[in-house]
Amino acid sequence: MYIVNYRRRVEAVFCAVLIFFIACLARLLYVQFFNADYLASIAKKQHNLYVELEPRRGTIYDSNYKPQAVNLAFESVFAAPNDMTPGQKEAVVRGLPGILRMDASVLRDRLSRKKSFVWLARKVPSEKIGLIKQLNLKGLGFIKESKRCYPNGYLLSHVLGFAGMDNNGLEGIELCYDKYLKGRPGWAVMLRDARRQRLNVYDNSMMPRDGYDIVLTIDEVIQYIAERELEAVFRKYRAKGASIVVMDPRTGAVLAMANRPTYDLNVLDKLDKDVMRNRAVCDMFEPGSVFKIVTAAAALEEKKVSEMTPFFCENGEYKVAGRILHDHRPHGTLPFKEVIELSSNIGTAKVAQLLGADMLYRYVKAFGFGSKTGIDIPGEISGSMKPTRQWSRTTITCVPMGQEVGVTSLQLAAGISVIANGGNLMKPYIIKEIRDKTGDMIKYTSPSVVKRVIDEDTAARMKKILIGVIENGTGTMGKLDHFTAAGKTGTAQKVEPSGQYSHSRFMASFIGFAPAEDPQLAIAVTVDEPKGMYYGGVVAAPVFKNVAADSLKYLRTKDYSGGALALYETR
Amino acid sequence: MRLSRFMAVSMSVTLLSLVYVWQQNEILRLAYERQKHYTYFQDLLDANSSLRYNLTRNTSVITMAGRMSEEHGFTMPDNYCLVKVQGYSRRKQTLVSRVFGIRRQAEAKTIDTAVRSLPRD
Repeated sequence: MYIVNYRRRVEAVFCAVLIFFIACLARLLYVQFFNADYLASIAKKQHNLYVELEPRRGTIYDSNYKPQAVNLAFESVFAAPNDMTPGQKEAVVRGLPGILRMDASVLRDRLSRKKSFVWLARKVPSEKIGLIKQLNLKGLGFIKESKRCYPNGYLLSHVLGFAGMDNNGLEGIELCYDKYLKGRPGWAVMLRDARRQRLNVYDNSMMPRDGYDIVLTIDEVIQYIAERELEAVFRKYRAKGASIVVMDPRTGAVLAMANRPTYDLNVLDKLDKDVMRNRAVCDMFEPGSVFKIVTAAAALEEKKVSEMTPFFCENGEYKVAGRILHDHRPHGTLPFKEVIELSSNIGTAKVAQLLGADMLYRYVKAFGFGSKTGIDIPGEISGSMKPTRQWSRTTITCVPMGQEVGVTSLQLAAGISVIANGGNLMKPYIIKEIRDKTGDMIKYTSPSVVKRVIDEDTAARMKKILIGVIENGTGTMGKLDHFTAAGKTGTAQKVEPSGQYSHSRFMASFIGFAPAEDPQLAIAVTVDEPKGMYYGGVVAAPVFKNVAADSLKYLRTKDYSGGALALYETR
Repeated sequence: MRLSRFMAVSMSVTLLSLVYVWQQNEILRLAYERQKHYTYFQDLLDANSSLRYNLTRNTSVITMAGRMSEEHGFTMPDNYCLVKVQGYSRRKQTLVSRVFGIRRQAEAKTIDTAVRSLPRD
């Protein structure tokens, strides 16, 4: 009896367990075959998270592989107002404004929105993040983002430009080469746990491609020297603006380009657009006497004159087509080379009359004026040079002395390089190479000759005349102590809104190269509306002298000290 | 089916289920572990980038030259002011100097002898 009962009980338990298993199996079958898609989609939503993977923006280096623009990790602060109690919101409004230097009303407004995510502050410095974390405020979250930083602040600001909050280029090279710098974003489907925390377990992914690195032709040290001297002259003469371009005349590589006023790339609040303009390529002005190099070179090349051909300079007053031309100092008869050395407007006008309008126009265009140089930075303008059919009767006397023609500082640097390098117009460039993160070359810029403008003999003769400008002429303040140099001064009257030439607003300029026997640097300096003194030979020539002297000394020591770093050493 | 076999099958199924759950649990635990290490690694990388940036900024030409010229009145030296020190070479020692322990002095030469004769400021 006992055995029978025991057996029945066991059978009952067996049946119960069997029924339980059958029920489980039935449920499993139902879940697997009838409800699988629906449940899988819910689970997927809960556990999987689609995340965009941000690529690292490329670094910008100078020619010695010194970084000029890099990315750093910064944390951003966000809040989830929907999940916060009024007390928590009040604690945030009380705690954060002091640290973030934000208005409390702005914070209160953001926290009052019925949203599950609002930014409170983007890309906050780590020391401030530390202070916020110490407050242990509920409802706040932190997200890491990368921010563009510029180790040299204001140095090269107009060329580099800057990237915005979302790491898109907004100005300069950052904008122009954005497609190379920003890379390609990737994506990943990641796991998320019950607390909705992200787990770096990829279900599926495509890794981002980091942006390419850009190496410039700019040399950080020469750039610093140029900016230092430009800043000094800008302050000393309380000028409206100033620009300098330093080029290697043999290749067209731009070694330095600076403008004043300038700005710090790390402080972009409340910036005036006028300050951000790269005046060296975006601003056109009448160049004044520096333009005489074109007429002089053309006259020598066409054998219309020789160095000693005499020109009567009319004792300072010359009437042409109803207009009286003046020299800044009256001269009698001067040989051609002294016409240039002493910068006689009347003498140069007579040289231009010998050449004729068509020939003068041809040489102005051949020197690259009136056309874009094709430099690889944004915003370049072509300047202006009227075709001869639009010339008035006085234009033939105005163009040789740099009136009725518009040029940029970069065009002046390229123009003087023609004489420095023996007659070739080189295409200026600023991007030396573009490399990917493994160091492979993506793009390389090699020097390119646009055209031969004058032959080597003419260039050598012009060089001697321009050495004379510095040794005996108007540019003596540009004379270097231990190197030879050649150059030309310019003082241009600016045009008043009435159309008349101003007697109080001037553009002082100087173009030159050094050392004269083997030119390594071609420099164009322009100072817009200097106060007090305004002659190019007084205001701009000393800038040329200081920049050329220090840069040449630096280049020599650099040659001896082993030159540039390798790219891998900088990473 | 015998009870013992049923029990064995049940045990096996339970054990396999437990192993499966443990395995899933381990995957998540390792993922958390990896996450922790990865975050730490990223923080270190970020700190490294930040340090390198500060190093670059503090040794940049703007900072260095600004300080040197403003605080110490430094100007760029002329080439004849720069000295290139040649390394000490044992081979150049003569027998006499080796025996009597007379060592040659390090030789200082100006970087550019061509401008050496130029007048000093």
